[in-house]
Amino acid sequence: MRLFNAAPLELKKYFKEDFTTNHYEAGWASECIFFIMVEDIKGTGSSLIADVEISHDGMTWVKEGTQSGKIDKAGLHFIRVKHFGNWLRLNCHISGESPEFKLLIQIALKE
Amino acid sequence: MDLTFSSRFQPLDKILIYDVFNNGYNGWMEIMPNFNEHPFFDEQPGILSKHQWPSLMLSTATFRYPGSHGSMSGQYSLKVSTRPIANRYEEMPAPGSLGQAIKRISFHNKKRKYLQFEAWFSYTAEQDKMDGTGDLPGLHESSIRAFGFGWDLQERGNRYFAGARYLNSVNGELKNKWQIVYPSSKDDEDWAFGTSGDWCVKGIDPFWYGRRYPDGRHDGFIDVKDGHQKLVYNETDCKLNWQYVRVLIDTEERKYVELQSGDTTFDLKDQPIYTVDSYARIDGLMNPLAWIETDTNRRVFLFLDSIVISQQ
Repeated sequence: MRLFNAAPLELKKYFKEDFTTNHYEAGWASECIFFIMVEDIKGTGSSLIADVEISHDGMTWVKEGTQSGKIDKAGLHFIRVKHFGNWLRLNCHISGESPEFKLLIQIALKE
Repeated sequence: MDLTFSSRFQPLDKILIYDVFNNGYNGWMEIMPNFNEHPFFDEQPGILSKHQWPSLMLSTATFRYPGSHGSMSGQYSLKVSTRPIANRYEEMPAPGSLGQAIKRISFHNKKRKYLQFEAWFSYTAEQDKMDGTGDLPGLHESSIRAFGFGWDLQERGNRYFAGARYLNSVNGELKNKWQIVYPSSKDDEDWAFGTSGDWCVKGIDPFWYGRRYPDGRHDGFIDVKDGHQKLVYNETDCKLNWQYVRVLIDTEERKYVELQSGDTTFDLKDQPIYTVDSYARIDGLMNPLAWIETDTNRRVFLFLDSIVISQQ
């Protein structure tokens, strides 16, 4: 039986500006999907782009290279990552006029 | 019985849970708010939000300089963590300043008097900033406010919480003493930091309800008699030592029995457990808990290697 675990990094939280998610230790897993559920979106031309970041200590971060597309609609979006060591998080950039996103960001890991 | 198991643990007759986290999460998860609000399953309104509490992780205890510490039973432990945010001790806990692990099972045997929680654990603070003073300015021991072990229970007509916490630090000052769950608030409103109409009930969820005072007193906990004890906190935040804890209660008499930490046992025999009326739908509930709270704007971590819950 393969080990799978889903964990919320951000839960029903409102974001108006750039942010990094809470991080997660994923060393046991070989596959990761970040699910980004946009529960609500406000403002004009509001969009979000998320960069995957990795770390050797959970405090110092560097871009892994994977980036989401432009997220500008409510609903479910995702980012796949395959090679990441232990620590993972998303660095999210929000743009638009008076933007606001209500988000559920879940990390889904599988070994 | 396996020699390693019987050497590390002292279980009662019936073992309900034996979880080694090197094997996985074993059904432990973070505590979450109830999402019942119309129309979008939002969080139930309340004075204290739990949706910022971090998810549990299977941790290799990886640090910047030594790399991976591993666990006592292998490479992985279950990590309970906080976000890097705290209010002062005497204020209501900041969203994200607590983390709590829970496993949800239920009783299956009516012959039960004693209930016991055993764990091997370690704890540390994030080695983020060099902001201390004195001989060891990079040591963040005093950033860890408290951590503990216990239960949320409902059986034989009552809901009740029982458990012990190690009060490590209050507003940066080390306290190093054990306390047990017992509420002293006047009523439900007092329990909810003076808020009337909040949904909480005196005695329920003492980890985040109950007023706190700058000297370390807490309306949800009382001091263990002669309960001062210095646990192992090594010379740097990235050195972990695995430690043993055991909490024994009497569910028939609704009393504490004893607390063991390392090689020291504290007698709790005259201490009652506070109970309230049953809640709907959860008769027989047996939820073991482990939690940690930060004392400053720094993440802190409780690592659980293995847990045994037993009854007799």
